[in-house]
Amino acid sequence: MSHPPRHSSMLSISNNVQTAATPSEKPLPPTQLQATSQTPPGLRVPSNRKTIYDRHLNRTRNGELSRASFAFLFGEMVTYAQRRVTGIQDLERRLNEQGYPLGLRLLDLLFYRTTSSTSSSALSSSSTSASPPNRPLRILPLLHLIHGPLWRQLFNRSADALEHSISPDTPNEYMITDNDPLVNTYISVPKEMNQLSCAAFVAGIIEGVCDGCGFEAKVSAHNQPSELWPSRTIFLLRFGDSVMEREKVLERAGVK
Amino acid sequence: MSSSTKVSRIGEELWKTKIDKVNAELVTLTYGTIVAQLCQDYDGNYHDVNKQLEKMGYNIGMRLIEDFLAKSNAGRCANFRETADMISKVGFKIFLNVTPTVTNWTSDNNQFSLIFDENPLADFVELPDDGRAQDELWFSNILCGVLRGSLEMVQMQIEAHFVSDVLRGDDTTEMRVSLVRYIEDEMPPEDD
Amino acid sequence: MAVYSFYIFDRHAECVYKRRWLPRPASIAGKSRPTSDTPTVANGLATMPSTRTTDDDAKLIFGTVFSLRNMVRKLGGEDDNFVTYRTSQYRLHYYETPTNIKFVMLTDTKSPSMRVALQQIYINLYVEYVVKNPLSPAEHPGGLGVDNELFEQSLEQFVTRVLS
Repeated sequence: MSHPPRHSSMLSISNNVQTAATPSEKPLPPTQLQATSQTPPGLRVPSNRKTIYDRHLNRTRNGELSRASFAFLFGEMVTYAQRRVTGIQDLERRLNEQGYPLGLRLLDLLFYRTTSSTSSSALSSSSTSASPPNRPLRILPLLHLIHGPLWRQLFNRSADALEHSISPDTPNEYMITDNDPLVNTYISVPKEMNQLSCAAFVAGIIEGVCDGCGFEAKVSAHNQPSELWPSRTIFLLRFGDSVMEREKVLERAGVK
Repeated sequence: MSSSTKVSRIGEELWKTKIDKVNAELVTLTYGTIVAQLCQDYDGNYHDVNKQLEKMGYNIGMRLIEDFLAKSNAGRCANFRETADMISKVGFKIFLNVTPTVTNWTSDNNQFSLIFDENPLADFVELPDDGRAQDELWFSNILCGVLRGSLEMVQMQIEAHFVSDVLRGDDTTEMRVSLVRYIEDEMPPEDD
Repeated sequence: MAVYSFYIFDRHAECVYKRRWLPRPASIAGKSRPTSDTPTVANGLATMPSTRTTDDDAKLIFGTVFSLRNMVRKLGGEDDNFVTYRTSQYRLHYYETPTNIKFVMLTDTKSPSMRVALQQIYINLYVEYVVKNPLSPAEHPGGLGVDNELFEQSLEQFVTRVLS
C-alpha cells in the first residue's frame, strides 16, 4: 500500500457510510434500537431517530443541490488549503488528500447501489443468490467503474475518454479525460500558476477509489486545454508494481 | 396571497428554472471532508473547528449573496421579518433545496430561529463517539457564517449560532439569528 | 454606438476595475501631460481637465454617481435610484446592486439605455468569473482578482461583439 497512514488517519466523523457491501469498520452501536429507558453509553440520538442508521441510504441518491453551493464550498476548500501550503505542488497534494477519503466512501456507496439495483430485493434475497461480486479484480474493469458509474454518480455523466499509455516504458499508466471538469468551472488560474489544477481534488477521489479496491495507484490531474475545451483535464493513473504483477498472475489464471 | 407565500413561490420557481444543479451527495460528501480536515488540522479542538467553519462560511456568504441577488433579482427587504422569509424560502431553497421554518420571534422583531427539518450538509453524518464532539462540535456551523457574511453585504450586521442539532441527539436542528444593526454606506477616503 | 469606458466600485467606495475602449488622445494618454484646452470628444469627458490620471477619473466618477444617487434617494425615497444621465459629450449609465457594488459605463450620447447590459455584466460575468472564482479573493483591494483572464476576456467580448 502506498499510503498506509491515510486510512488510519481518517476520522470517523463525516459521511460515515456504512453499507451491506463492505464490512463496516465500526459495529452499529448497541444503543440504537429500543434503548430508550437506560442511559446508554456512546452517542445520543434524537427521539425521532433521524440517524444515519434509520434513514435509507438511497434517500439522497437522486437528490440535487445547487451547483453554486458546490462551487462555493470547493472554493473555500481551495482557499483554506492555499493558506497552509508552500507552493502549487503542495496545494495539489493537499487537494488530493481531501479528495481521497471521499473516494473511499463513494466506493462503498457505489458497490451498495450496484448490488441492490441488480437484485431488486437485495434485502430479502439470501447472500448466495445475490448478484456476482462487483469489486473489480483487474485494472480494466476498475477503470470502467471510474469512467462510468463513479463519474455519473459525481457529475451526472460519464468521463470523456479512457486511454492506456502507448509507451512501452509505462504500461502502468492510464489516462481518464474530462473535457470540462465541474471543479474547474469557475476557476480562472492566473498565468503565474498555470501548472495548478484544482482537479487534483478529483484525482484524490480517484485515488481513494483505486486504493479502496486494492489497486495501489498515484493519480494526478493535468491541464490539457484544447481550443474547444479550455479546461480539459487529464487524470493520469499510475499503478504500483504490485498491481502490475498481480495483473500478470490474474491474466494467466484467466480472471477477468 | 400572503407575502410569505409569494416569497416561497419565488423560491420554488427559481429552484426549478434558474438553478444549475449538481448531485447532492457530491456537495454533502465534500462538506464532510472539509469538516474532517479541520478536525484533523485543529487536533480535535472542536471550539476552534466551529470558529474556523464560521469563518469559512463568512467568506462564502460574501460571495454567495452576489449569486443570490443575480439569480433572484431581489431588491432590499423592508424589514427584518421580510429578510428572514427571504433567507428561508429563497436563500436556503435555491442553495440547499430546503426551507427551514422561521419561528420564535422576539417582540422587537430583531431575533428569530430557523428550524431545519432537513439538513443536506449533515446527511450520512455521525459525530465521533469521543465523549466531546456531541457537546462541543456544531457540525453545520458554516451556515452561521454564510448568513453573517451575506447579510453584512446587504448592510445588516447579524449574529447567528446553533442552539440544537439532531447530530448531538437533540430533537431539532435550530439556529438563532439576531440583528445587531444596519450598516451605513461607506464613504471614499478623503483626498487632500 | 460607442462604449468609452467602464468602472466597477465596491462597497468600500474603491474602484476595483476600470477599462477604456477608445484610445485616448495623446495629450491625455501620454505620460507627460501637457495641458491642453482643446476639448476631446473621443473619451467623452472632454470638459474635465486633461491633467487627470485614470485614477482621478475614477474618483470623479465615483463622486458624481455617489452624490447623484444620494440626492435621488432624498427626493424619491430610499428605493429610488438614477439610471443614467447625459451631457453634451457622453452618456453615463449606472447600475447598483443591493450589495452596494456600482457598475458605471460611459458611452456616446446616442447610445440606448445600458442598464440591462450592466445588469448582465454583473450577473453573467462578474458573479460567474470574479465572485465564484476561488482564486480571486472575496474582496478586491486594488482590484485584486477582478482582473482575471476569464472576466476580462468575456467583458471584452461582451462589449465589442454584443454592444457595438
